Amino acid sequence: MDKLLIEALARQAGLDRALAEFPDCVLAAAKQAIGRSSEINTPTSPAVEPWPPMKVGAGA
Amino acid sequence: MSDDLAWLTATQASRAFAARKLSPTELVRALLARIERLDPKLNAFIRLDAETALAAAATAEAEIAAGRHRGPLHGVPVGIKDIIDVVGLPTTCHSKVMPNTPATADAVVVGKLRQAGAVIMGKLSTHEFAIGGPSFDLPWPPARNPWNRDHHPGGSSSGSGVGLGAGFFPLALGTDTGGSVRNPASACGIVGLKPTYGLVSRRGVFPLAFSLDHVGPMTRDVADNALLLDAIAGHDPHDPGSAASSSRDFARGLERGVRGLRIGYVRHFHEQDMPAHPEVAAGLDAVARTLAGEGAILSDITLPSLGEFAAVNRVILNAEAWTIHAPWLRERPGDYGQLARRRLMPGAFLTAGDLLAAQRRRAEMIAAVDAALEEVDVLLCASSMDPASRIEDADETARTYPRQARAPFNTTGHPALAMMAGLSRDGLPLSVQFVARHFADATLFQVARAWERASGVDRLHPDLS
Repeated sequence: MDKLLIEALARQAGLDRALAEFPDCVLAAAKQAIGRSSEINTPTSPAVEPWPPMKVGAGA
Repeated sequence: MSDDLAWLTATQASRAFAARKLSPTELVRALLARIERLDPKLNAFIRLDAETALAAAATAEAEIAAGRHRGPLHGVPVGIKDIIDVVGLPTTCHSKVMPNTPATADAVVVGKLRQAGAVIMGKLSTHEFAIGGPSFDLPWPPARNPWNRDHHPGGSSSGSGVGLGAGFFPLALGTDTGGSVRNPASACGIVGLKPTYGLVSRRGVFPLAFSLDHVGPMTRDVADNALLLDAIAGHDPHDPGSAASSSRDFARGLERGVRGLRIGYVRHFHEQDMPAHPEVAAGLDAVARTLAGEGAILSDITLPSLGEFAAVNRVILNAEAWTIHAPWLRERPGDYGQLARRRLMPGAFLTAGDLLAAQRRRAEMIAAVDAALEEVDVLLCASSMDPASRIEDADETARTYPRQARAPFNTTGHPALAMMAGLSRDGLPLSVQFVARHFADATLFQVARAWERASGVDRLHPDLS
């Protein structure tokens, strides 16, 4: 991703200080996140819903 | 002190207390002396609370002598990962970021241990906020592997794994969001359980990712792990993730063996998705063969790929962790170590669509593991794909750290236990992982105990003399 775009997204997230003091960390973090969802086979059926985020039942 | 006391299990200690062959004070004194001698090389403790531990041991001793025996953990020493609140002690999260003020209340799990009469020895090393490590730029050094201190002990519950592996205490608590109980269990050759999601309260534990976080028991053998889970499990109406389960007596099937039990071997995790180190693969095959020899019915099982499990886990973890750390990352980024800073900021760059895609796929992944566990009773798979990396080799650690099969079961909430599968030619622990249906944690102990009994892995300890 374009460095200028990453910097703009970082500022939008309030990371101005991190961007000034630790630009390599901000860049590394952005690279980890961007495109990560392309590794996921997002369900095509609209019946697959995203909630509740974590409920495994009541147990015994 | 004799090694016999260092390697005493909680079960053995409790029997010795009841038979008046050993007192809690004698045991705690012996372990404190061992910690004083060895921990400067291993860094398991952030804060050793010797005075309080000795006072608690004396109280337990008096109660047991008076016939007021509280149960199998009474007078038994336990170490607590330092993201879990212990009243009167700061919860540092191994970070400069946290205020140096004492916790005003125990975490629910710590309160339960006190009720059971356990002796809290102190607070244990972790990766910074249970994610940033191993790091050399934090206020405390990283813990080191007791089998070879040049190697990483796994994380993030590093001190818990190291202290157990080194014979500092027989019980410890860790937490597990992407594998952080099972990784040090794998690297240090001990037993670590990530219980069913919701079985153990998380209240009073500093969160990493709400819907992935678990508190888990860590021990040197399987029977102790079941005892520790008995003590800490239970519904907590104030933990929004808590299940209304009343499961207890997790040791009930411990000695039943595996005859007739159906075990699904998830080979593709370590044969195709992330090809494992040959010794790790051979260790897993040996476990499978042994359990088949004990009467289990083995078959191959296919789950979604490890790569996709990892992607779903990371998107959810990054998004949830960002909402917790954003204020500090904006104001005080320099107070974090470099690794934590890099691992906690990705959430700032995720979209709502990314998170919802991961959550929707997560629902399908839970269903896929549930379906597999309709065909079989337990899954057998890899935990770590490699023996522990050299701790000062950042490149090797970065390469091997994500090569694991633990995060899938944080994503799905199924109970998962990691333990030793043997030793590598270099003398480092190899590992195996078992997975069961939601709330079938007792079945995991049954299988793990069958492997432990057949292999004798619980009798292997590092030479720290």
